[in-house]
Amino acid sequence: MSQRKSYAVGTGLFIVLGFAALAYLATQTTSVVNSHQGASYTVDAQFSDIGQLKERAPVKVAGVRVGQVQSITLDPGKAVADVTLLIDKKFSQIPANSVATIYTSGLLGDQYVGLQYGNAKAYLANGSHVGLTKSTQPLEEMLSKFLGSNGAADAIGGTYKVTAHFTNVGALTVGAPVKMAGVAIGSVSDVKADPVKLDATVTMSINKQYNQIPDDSAAAIFTSGLIGTQYVAIQPGGSPNSLKEGDQLVLTQSAVQLEDLIGKFLVSGSPSGNNNNAGGNGSSNQPAGKH
Amino acid sequence: MTDTVQAQPDDRALVRIRGLTTVLNGKTVFDKLDLDIPRGKVTAIMGPSGTGKTTLLKHITGQMRGDAGQVMVAGKNVPELSREALFELRERIGYLFQNSALLTDFDVFENVAFPLRQHTKLPEVLIRNIVLTKLQAVGLRGAASLLPSELSGGMARRVALARAIVFDPMLILYDEPFVGLDPIALNQVLKLIRTLNETLGITSVLVAHELEAIKQVADRVYLIANGKVVAQGDPKTIANDGSPWTRQFFGGEADGPVPFQYPADDYGQALGFRQGAA
Amino acid sequence: MSAQLGRENILIGSLAQIGRCGLFLLRILTAIPLSMRYARETVRQLWFVGAMSLTIIMTCGLFVGMVLGLQLYHVLAIFGGTSATGSVVALAVYRELGPVVTALLFAGRAGTSITAEIGLMRATDQIAAMEMMAVDPIAYVIAPRFLAGLVAMPLLCCVFCGLSIFGGHLVAVDWLGVDNGTFWSNMTANVNVWNDVVNGLIWKSLVFGAVISLIAVFQGYTTPPTSEGVAYATTRTVVTSSIAILALDFVLTAFLM
Repeated sequence: MSQRKSYAVGTGLFIVLGFAALAYLATQTTSVVNSHQGASYTVDAQFSDIGQLKERAPVKVAGVRVGQVQSITLDPGKAVADVTLLIDKKFSQIPANSVATIYTSGLLGDQYVGLQYGNAKAYLANGSHVGLTKSTQPLEEMLSKFLGSNGAADAIGGTYKVTAHFTNVGALTVGAPVKMAGVAIGSVSDVKADPVKLDATVTMSINKQYNQIPDDSAAAIFTSGLIGTQYVAIQPGGSPNSLKEGDQLVLTQSAVQLEDLIGKFLVSGSPSGNNNNAGGNGSSNQPAGKH
Repeated sequence: MTDTVQAQPDDRALVRIRGLTTVLNGKTVFDKLDLDIPRGKVTAIMGPSGTGKTTLLKHITGQMRGDAGQVMVAGKNVPELSREALFELRERIGYLFQNSALLTDFDVFENVAFPLRQHTKLPEVLIRNIVLTKLQAVGLRGAASLLPSELSGGMARRVALARAIVFDPMLILYDEPFVGLDPIALNQVLKLIRTLNETLGITSVLVAHELEAIKQVADRVYLIANGKVVAQGDPKTIANDGSPWTRQFFGGEADGPVPFQYPADDYGQALGFRQGAA
Repeated sequence: MSAQLGRENILIGSLAQIGRCGLFLLRILTAIPLSMRYARETVRQLWFVGAMSLTIIMTCGLFVGMVLGLQLYHVLAIFGGTSATGSVVALAVYRELGPVVTALLFAGRAGTSITAEIGLMRATDQIAAMEMMAVDPIAYVIAPRFLAGLVAMPLLCCVFCGLSIFGGHLVAVDWLGVDNGTFWSNMTANVNVWNDVVNGLIWKSLVFGAVISLIAVFQGYTTPPTSEGVAYATTRTVVTSSIAILALDFVLTAFLM
C-alpha cells in the first residue's frame, strides 16, 4: 500500500509541476504579462499616422509602462486614426495637456505610445482626450533628417561642396554618408546623371572642419557590410593643396556590383588585385574564364 | 464411477458440447465434436500435441468461438452470449494458465486479490481474510509479499490456482498444470486439484499429458484426436479399450494413427530419384 | 508485374494497418468510461510514462535551450539583434522544438516501454488472464496507458519549454551578456499566449501524446506474443511514431498557425 501511495504522491508532484510550468510559460513569457487586469481608465488620442502600432502595444511614461493600446479605429470620414489607451488607475495623475507620441523601441522593435507630461494642473480622466499627438515618423524620413544635408554636420560649421564622377553609383542615395578613414565627414547632397559624359555626378557636402583634404584624393563607393547601405569613402592623396568648394575629385572608384564581385571571385579564384579595376565593367576583363 | 454411459441427463453435465466444428487457418481443429463434462467431477482431456485441447478450453470460456455447434456451460450457450453475459459467466469459472499468467506489476497478495478488487467493493479487512484463506489453502500464505518474479514455477502455479479459486467458482479449467514441475511440486498441485474438487465440489477440467498423474486425479478421461473424441472412460481402464489411438497414445508408440512423418510428398522424388526407380 | 503487385500489397497492407489502428482507437474510446473505474491504474501509468520521463525531458530541454541561445546569439549578433534572442528562443521552443522534441523523446522513453510491457503481458497470457477474470483488458490495461500518455505529453512539454527558456536565458544572459530585462521584455512582447502557447504548445503536444500512446498500445496489443514480436513492435513504435509526429507537425502547423 505504501508503494501505491508513493506513486500517487509522485504523480501528483508531476502533475503540479507540469501545470506550474504551463502557468509560468503562459503568464510570464507571453504578452499576457503585458495585458492588464487591474482597475484602469481609458483616454483617446488621434494620430495622423500610427505606423505599425498594434492593439495591446504598451503605453509608457518616461519608459515605464503605464497601460496599453486598447483599440485602433479609423475616424469615419477623416484620414485620422482613433487610438484608445487603457491606462492603469495607479497612474491617475497624468496632466491633461500631455503629448502622446508613437515611438519605436529600437530600430527593429515594436512601436509604442509614449506620453510626455505637460504642465496642466488638471489630470487625464476616464474618457478624456489627449489633444496633442505626434504621429509615427517613417524610418526613411528620420534617417534622411539625421544623415541628410540638414543634419548635425551642417549646424556645427557649415559645409563645402565637391563633386566627383562615377561610372556607376550602385545604390548610393542622397543623404548617404561621406567617410574618411571610416569617420563620417559629410554627406551626399546630390546624385545626378551627366547628360554629356554619360556618367553619374555626385555632389558631396563636406564639413568645413575637414578642410585639409588633399585635392588629389580619390573617392570610392563602398558598401558597409553585405546588406548595408552604400557610402562614399575619401582616400587621401599626397598633394599639398587642399580641396575647396566646387572642386572635383578626379580619381574615382565606382560601386562594385555584388554580381561582378562574385563573378570575379569565381573566375580568378582570388579577390586580390581588383582594386585597380575602376569601373563597373571589371568582369569583362576576364573573358571566357568559365569552366 | 458408474457413469461410464455416454448419454447423460442434462443436469449431470455442467458443460455440454454438441457438434462443435472449428476451422482455424484452413485446418479443421474440431469436427462435430461431442463432449460432456460431468458436474462435480475431475475430467481430463488428453490427446496428441496440436489437437486443440487448449483451444477446447478457450471455447468453453468464450475466448474463441466455433464455426458451428453448441457449447453449453451451466445451461447457457457460450457462443451466443453477449460480452456482459460472458463476463458474468467467467466470474464463475476459474482458469489456470499454462504459464500461470500472474500480473507482474503486483505482489502475490494483490494478484490473488485482483478479481475481488475488480468485481466487488468489499472492505479491505474482508479482502485480506479471503486472500489469506486462499493462500493458506495453497500453502503460500507466507509468500504473500513476494513478487511473481521471485516465485518458482510450482509456486507461481499455486498462486495462480489461489487466484482462480478466489471467487469459489463452479468450474476450474487447468491448462497443462503439470508441465515443467518437479515431482514434489507436481504432487502438490495434484493434491490441490483433488482437495479442491473433494472439499468444495468444484467441477474440474484438466488438459494434460501425464498419464500417471491423471490416473491419480481424474474421474473421467477424453482422448481427442483429429477433431473428434476417439476414446473416453475411466482413466484406469481407457488404455485397454483396444482402439489403435489409445494403444499408440498410452503405449507411447512412435508411429500409428498419429504418423511419425509429417505429411510430405514422395521421399524418393524429393531426393531426386525417379519415382519407382529405386 | 510482380513488383507492382508487391507494391500494391504494401499499400493495401499499410492502409489496413491504419484502419485497424483507427478501429482500435474506437475500442479504446468506448472503453474509456469503463476505465474510469480503474482511475488508480491511470494514475499509476501517469507515474510511469510521465513522472519517470521527467529527468530526460528536463535534461534535454535545458540543453536545447542552451544551444538555441548560443546559436541565435551569434546569428543575431550579425544583424545587431541580440536583444531578440529571448523572443526567438521562446517562439522556436513553443511552436516547434518543444512539442516535437518532447514527442520524439516521449516516443523513445515512454512509447517503447508501453509497447514492450503490453507485448510481454500478451506473451505471458496476462491479457488473456484478465479476460478470464472478467476484466476488460482494453479498459484496464490499454485505456489507462492511452489516457496517461494523453495527459502526460502536454505537461512534459510545458516542463521542457520552461527548462529550454531557462537554458536560453542561462547562455544568453548569464554567459553572453544579453541584458536580462531586454531578454524578457522582448519575449513578452513577441510571444502571444493563444497563437504560441495554446495553439503551438498545448494542441500540438496533445495531438502528439494521443498519437504516440495510440501507436504504442496498438503495437503492443497486436504484436505476435513472442520475444521476437515484442522486439519488432518496440522498434515499430519508435519508427512509426517519429514519422507520424513529424508529418503531423507539418499538418498542424499549417492549420493552427
